[in-house]
Amino acid sequence: MSTTAILRPRRDPVNGLLLLWGILVFVFLFLPILIIVIYSFNDGRALVVWDHFGFGSYHRAVINQTIRSAVWTSVRAALGASVIATVIGSLAGIALARRPGKWTIGFLALVFLVLVTPEVVDAISLLIWYVRIGGPFGPSNTLVNYGLVRLWVGHAIFASAVVTLIVRARLAGLDESLEEASGDLYASPAQTFRQITLPLMMPAVLAGALLAFSLSLDNTIISSFVSTPNASPWPVYIFSAVRAVLRPEIAAMSTLVLLLTLFALALTALVIRRTGASGEETAALLAGVESAPRSGVPSSAL
Amino acid sequence: MLLFFFAIPVLFIFYYSLGYKPDIFHTIATDNLSLGRYSESFSETFRSVFTGTLQISLIGTTLCLLIGFPFAYWLAVRVPPKWRGVLLGLTIVPFWTNFLVRTLGWLILLQPNGPLSGSMQAIGLISNPLQVLDTRSAVQLGVVYNYLPLMIFPLFVALDRLDPALREASKDLGANRWRTFRQVTLPLAMPGVVAGLLLVFIPLTGDYITASVLGGAKGNMVGALVASQFNTAQNWALGSAMAVILIFMILGSVAIFGGLGLIARTLIRRARRVELVPEPA
Repeated sequence: MSTTAILRPRRDPVNGLLLLWGILVFVFLFLPILIIVIYSFNDGRALVVWDHFGFGSYHRAVINQTIRSAVWTSVRAALGASVIATVIGSLAGIALARRPGKWTIGFLALVFLVLVTPEVVDAISLLIWYVRIGGPFGPSNTLVNYGLVRLWVGHAIFASAVVTLIVRARLAGLDESLEEASGDLYASPAQTFRQITLPLMMPAVLAGALLAFSLSLDNTIISSFVSTPNASPWPVYIFSAVRAVLRPEIAAMSTLVLLLTLFALALTALVIRRTGASGEETAALLAGVESAPRSGVPSSAL
Repeated sequence: MLLFFFAIPVLFIFYYSLGYKPDIFHTIATDNLSLGRYSESFSETFRSVFTGTLQISLIGTTLCLLIGFPFAYWLAVRVPPKWRGVLLGLTIVPFWTNFLVRTLGWLILLQPNGPLSGSMQAIGLISNPLQVLDTRSAVQLGVVYNYLPLMIFPLFVALDRLDPALREASKDLGANRWRTFRQVTLPLAMPGVVAGLLLVFIPLTGDYITASVLGGAKGNMVGALVASQFNTAQNWALGSAMAVILIFMILGSVAIFGGLGLIARTLIRRARRVELVPEPA
């Protein structure tokens, strides 16, 4: 790094411009979020018209049964969807990286198609499909809330494709001879997987799971098509409020959710840091751009 | 599972798109298959929505690249490594905030009597209240904002992987700053650029949530048409046909621009007799 400093003149107009640009982009990125946080203290009837400062909206948001159940539905949907997507995606990623065959191209094409299909197409096709097959996705399912099952599967489809690619990229960047060495040292395949492969691919799996969770929490389009009245997630509630009337309660609950998300993110970052990753690697992991093996292909490159 | 919950359902859309709406009580009938819904989709009213959507998504993707590239470059190259993790972490926060909530943030900001309008009037930038909401510009702003992180991350990864020694070598070989950027940095960042373009363009074209929040009636995107055919008009056949057109619109654009990119690359390669740049992986 020291050579760079010598080569680069100290006062560089380009550097200054880039710094300014960086700050502007940060302002741009954070302005709306800041506004939501500020307006969550708006103690008026309508969200968009500032009335006066107060905590009333927080109180009303927390005691509102519909809002609470919407957020709870979102959390449950995200947990289920990320578990499904992580398991399926990891298995598919391992298979792609370690046991390639004739099926690989077809499967990758399918994964690619999943990634390029616009969400609204996924949404309507799932709606048609759910209505057609019924079963666990229809009202006859008395075991689990079928609206939740619809959300789990709907959210897991895109996410599992993403997890597949992340895990595959990670494993492709790892030396297979480590696993072979383990086999030579008389470890059973199960032992090798548990003690060598799994720890090595863990960062990718974790990144994939986090990404799946966040994608599910964010999902509005698929949810608004397939969700049922008794399992209607938080974004769908907000979207219907946009069309009807926006109250400050929405900003209040959003601020609370944001705080919880940040807390969870910080906690995860701490756990990842414990494993010895640098701050930069940790951040990259949380963004789903798993950058650890420098030789690997960009995992987010479709 | 992908096959069962993705491939088969999507094939159903193709099938349904050939059907028709029998009467007001049924959403779909497929006993008399025809291409009638497609010609309906290409009628005057709907066609303008298709071209409008394509325009918004092309401009939006370009703007994301223009805003995101200098930012990712700054973050990956110019920011001291000590700060890089923290700043990258900050970039992730908006990505982790619900995108509908962020869009609501803009809805508040852009109100004619909202904070942005007020402060711009106060410093004399504009004389009348801001009239941006419910216009195409608001939609454009909203989509650029919402999809910018998806452009920044792959660009950052690509630029971060780039060994600084390569740029220094280029400098040592007498290349000026602009030439180093054009012939070393940019070609090596190309995989990130392509990934970012795809990651932004595809969801942006299908998105209609941002548009319906910020654009009102003016922000009609193809996705909204499809949604309204399914939710309000209950005409699943027409909705399916529009969805199929949307798929081909996206695949077609990706193919056209991919092709153009390949041609441009070949031409540039041919124009340079000496290959200064190692092949991007």
